[in-house]
Amino acid sequence: MSAALVVQSLVLGVLLGGLYALLAAGLTLYFGVMRVVMIAHSAFLILAAYLAWYFHSLTGLDPLLSLPITVPVFFGGGVALQRLLLARLRPATRTMMSVLLTFAIALVIEGGLGTVFTGTQRRIQLGYSGASLELFGARVAVVKLIAFALAAAAMAALYLVLTKTKFGQALRATIQHREAAQLVGIQTDRIAGYGFGLGLATAAIGGTALALDSTIYPSLHWRWIGPLMAIIVVGGLGSVPGTAIAAMLLGMLMSLLQIPLGTTWAQTVFYLALFATLAFRPHGLFGGRLATRF
Amino acid sequence: MRPDSEPARWRGTTVRAVAIAIGAAAILAFPAVAANPYMLTVGIGILNYAVLATAWNFVGGFTGYISLGHGALSGLGAYGTGLLITGAGLPSFVALGVAAVIVGVLAIPIGIAALRVRGASFVIVSIALVLILLLVFQSWAQLTGGSRGFVVPRPFPHLHRAEHHLVFFFLFAGLLALALVAWWLIDRSHFGLGLKAIREDEDKAQSLGIPTFAAKLVVFVVSAVFTALGGGLYALWFGDLDPVFQFSVLSGSTTVLIALLGGVRHLFGPLLGALVVGAGLEYFKLEYGDTPLHLVATGVLLGGVVMFMPEGIIPGLFGLYRRWFAPSDVSIREVTAAALLDASRRVPEDRERASREAGR
Amino acid sequence: MMSFRAFAHGTPLMNPSNRVHRTTVLIAALAFSASGCGHKSAGSASDPILIGVSLPLTGDFSEPGKGIQRGYEAWAKIVNAAGGLLGRQVKLKFLDDQSSADRVVSDYEQLVGKDKVNLVFGPFSTRLVVPAARVAEEYGMLFVEPAGAAKQVFEQGFKNLFYAAPAVATEHYKLLASYLLALPEATRPRTAAYASMDDPFAQSTAYGLKAKLEAGGIKTLVNEVYPPSTTDFSSIAAKIADSKADIVVGGTQYQDGVNLIIALQQLAYQPKLAAFSTAPTEAEFAKAIGNKAEGILAPTGYTPQSKFPSNVEFVQKYTAQFGGPPGEDEANGYATGQVVAAAVAAVGCAEQGDCQGKLVAWLRGHQVDTVVGGLKWDDKGRPLGAHMIQQWVGGKIQVVLPADLKEADLIYPKPTW
Repeated sequence: MSAALVVQSLVLGVLLGGLYALLAAGLTLYFGVMRVVMIAHSAFLILAAYLAWYFHSLTGLDPLLSLPITVPVFFGGGVALQRLLLARLRPATRTMMSVLLTFAIALVIEGGLGTVFTGTQRRIQLGYSGASLELFGARVAVVKLIAFALAAAAMAALYLVLTKTKFGQALRATIQHREAAQLVGIQTDRIAGYGFGLGLATAAIGGTALALDSTIYPSLHWRWIGPLMAIIVVGGLGSVPGTAIAAMLLGMLMSLLQIPLGTTWAQTVFYLALFATLAFRPHGLFGGRLATRF
Repeated sequence: MRPDSEPARWRGTTVRAVAIAIGAAAILAFPAVAANPYMLTVGIGILNYAVLATAWNFVGGFTGYISLGHGALSGLGAYGTGLLITGAGLPSFVALGVAAVIVGVLAIPIGIAALRVRGASFVIVSIALVLILLLVFQSWAQLTGGSRGFVVPRPFPHLHRAEHHLVFFFLFAGLLALALVAWWLIDRSHFGLGLKAIREDEDKAQSLGIPTFAAKLVVFVVSAVFTALGGGLYALWFGDLDPVFQFSVLSGSTTVLIALLGGVRHLFGPLLGALVVGAGLEYFKLEYGDTPLHLVATGVLLGGVVMFMPEGIIPGLFGLYRRWFAPSDVSIREVTAAALLDASRRVPEDRERASREAGR
Repeated sequence: MMSFRAFAHGTPLMNPSNRVHRTTVLIAALAFSASGCGHKSAGSASDPILIGVSLPLTGDFSEPGKGIQRGYEAWAKIVNAAGGLLGRQVKLKFLDDQSSADRVVSDYEQLVGKDKVNLVFGPFSTRLVVPAARVAEEYGMLFVEPAGAAKQVFEQGFKNLFYAAPAVATEHYKLLASYLLALPEATRPRTAAYASMDDPFAQSTAYGLKAKLEAGGIKTLVNEVYPPSTTDFSSIAAKIADSKADIVVGGTQYQDGVNLIIALQQLAYQPKLAAFSTAPTEAEFAKAIGNKAEGILAPTGYTPQSKFPSNVEFVQKYTAQFGGPPGEDEANGYATGQVVAAAVAAVGCAEQGDCQGKLVAWLRGHQVDTVVGGLKWDDKGRPLGAHMIQQWVGGKIQVVLPADLKEADLIYPKPTW
């Protein structure tokens, strides 16, 4: 185990963490907005990845160019999902039922992808798929850099929307205290719908970023839902900055642990962090009052 | 208590007993009716679903906690049985029992950790448990065979395959009967009453003095033991274990769907759900081959049940039937306070009348 | 506060609807068992011979699985065109086991128990062959398989199993090992890195080579094993690149091989030699790694250019049917068909029951000529031949070892990728 390997893993971990942050951001938004555990989020990620791959195989253009199409579609889908399905659940049992309902949606997506694209594993082959750059003494694949840049840009945009726009402030108010937000005149139902749309839009971007350097197959979402759920619990349910920090921390930790432990054992770090958080600090890093009575 | 417009209770009990006897006979007669050994394996699959769903229903039906992670417990039961046979040299069914006890003991710390949280966190923890065990069993290949699979030796090595299926059909039926009896006993008991109070409103139950945490833990351990028995028996029957199938969130959630479908509040609900889902999956496979469409169907079914009939399709359908043809038997929500008061005043009179009739 | 409050409504504590439940169960049980209908087995002389196969047409093993399917289909077409088997047309029934060991078992249960097929052919990959072979064995069926090559397969005590390829997995790299160890001291590699899927076949090939090279003094720097569903190889590749091993050996199937190579490319790691099992022999391989396949090695049991008598016809008719030459998987499938056909023709029967035992006994004592050469087996079903080594040379995959069968010279060291 050499110093170069450690540096390599650290850099890889940062890139990975950035991507995880984007992938998990939507998940924590859904929870904050509606106390809904959206198990289908990772299925939507894979759906977006498939759409990017399909776009590339159909047109031969760079998959990133599919974003102007997929992002609005996913946004609309998110709003529809919230208004038509989730809002219909009875509030008393909403959290529990939403788990089952979104689970059902994930199954439908997986089955649909399998039927349309078959279970064959797909990978986008771009001219620059094998290219790499020297960065901070480590060899970094160009596609990983692009994915990270995309994730960083999306997170920055999300941050700006949440802090600088009126909609973002209304969303944060709804997350913080729904009744109080209603009292100051915010249309929480509509905002909740848009919040969901925002979450799913991040899934569109995240899935496309994922597709650049990953092999995709319909049941891949099972591999992602665990780590993403762990990230949002560790970061604090409902808190986007918490998620970002937890993602970076866990991403780097996992990458470093891969050297002594190997890929599979290293993945357990997410679950161990999850259990530890629930045992010792149930509201995570930044969860606050949200986490106590979900 | 609702007004009971059904016929006198002793007649109801006899009918119920006869129906159960007929049902049991039907199950025991199935191997004779089955056209070929393949149908027997389908029957075993359904019984396996029924055992796992009934075992799950100890937690889901009584306490109302939805665990998507029971796959972890059945996987542990399966691998535990296999490892005890190959590693410790125990005879097959002794290994099965010991593995179930070990899983029951393991369920105590797991239960303590998982039951402290509620709602969304409980589900997340249950899923995380399955996923982490999947990783562990895949990586620890020296012990578990990893993804190369783990072969569990046959308990009766000299049987022809069709006979092997026959024996295990009856073994699964026996295990199912055991689980049903245990569920029934808890359902009728004071302990079960306490659990149902937790289901209705946990905080109020606690304030009434019910030891909610201890009760939840006990029923979780019972559920774990039966789940492990189901998993272990499957290992003895099937003979080949792969972590991807033993520690699967999908199979755990199929169990939940089955229980929900048949009705979690009823003794035979999970069995019913298993029949419907098992037969449905088999039909799908034979008609359409192994396409991913059955995933779509499962998802649509689960979504439909959650949205429109959360008490289960069968109870939901019979509720519809009753509302259609016997409108006096309406749901408590639709009864006004005055009518409710009126009805509750009538109950003691009914009971007196019934006991007078019985005494005649 | 979470509870099943929704469930609480409308159901009293005492429950008359249990009775209704029970009746429903009874009706459902009877209806279900009545629906189980069996197929009559194809018994009379003019009925087609039904051959059942379960293959991984989707999932981790789907690329090679589809190759085997094409091989079986080509065989059926050629046999039927020549008049069929014992005067009867052959009909193949394929089931997709989705690369899952669970499903392959129930698939063969269905084929043998319900569809009452006359004969079975084996599936792809050791992982699936072992459970499938157990089903066949316990039903007394002959089991000739095109792809279960790891030593586990032959250690299960199966008496009806025959592997339709020249050599078992641990011997696949025999010729490459000899070649490397015979190189002069100056050019011989000194260190090696191994990465293999946690799959009995993939591991057997890599470990077979590893054992021989270690015995010859080539040091192992990295030895990684990964579960089949792994798609992220960055850390394994990082370890391999960091070790700067002279050669890299992959015990791979298809997609994982592709992903590992791309990850190694991304780290600009340039080994002197790269050998991978299965992946380089697939048609899509070169394109999938950016057309940088030059110099990559793979063991193979087959080459379309070989001059075995039945091979010339096979290549010709296969190319006409599918538009391109056959690869190793297709050839293994075809060879399986040839082996079974030879036994059936010699013994004169093709149905379940005692016939299967006679087929087994005949194969035990005879050699069968196939497109991969003459096949002969030991008492456990192991074939007794040797595999060739192929390499991507000049944009095509060609045989480079053994010397007497070579189509091109072995390139060493490998050009950069």
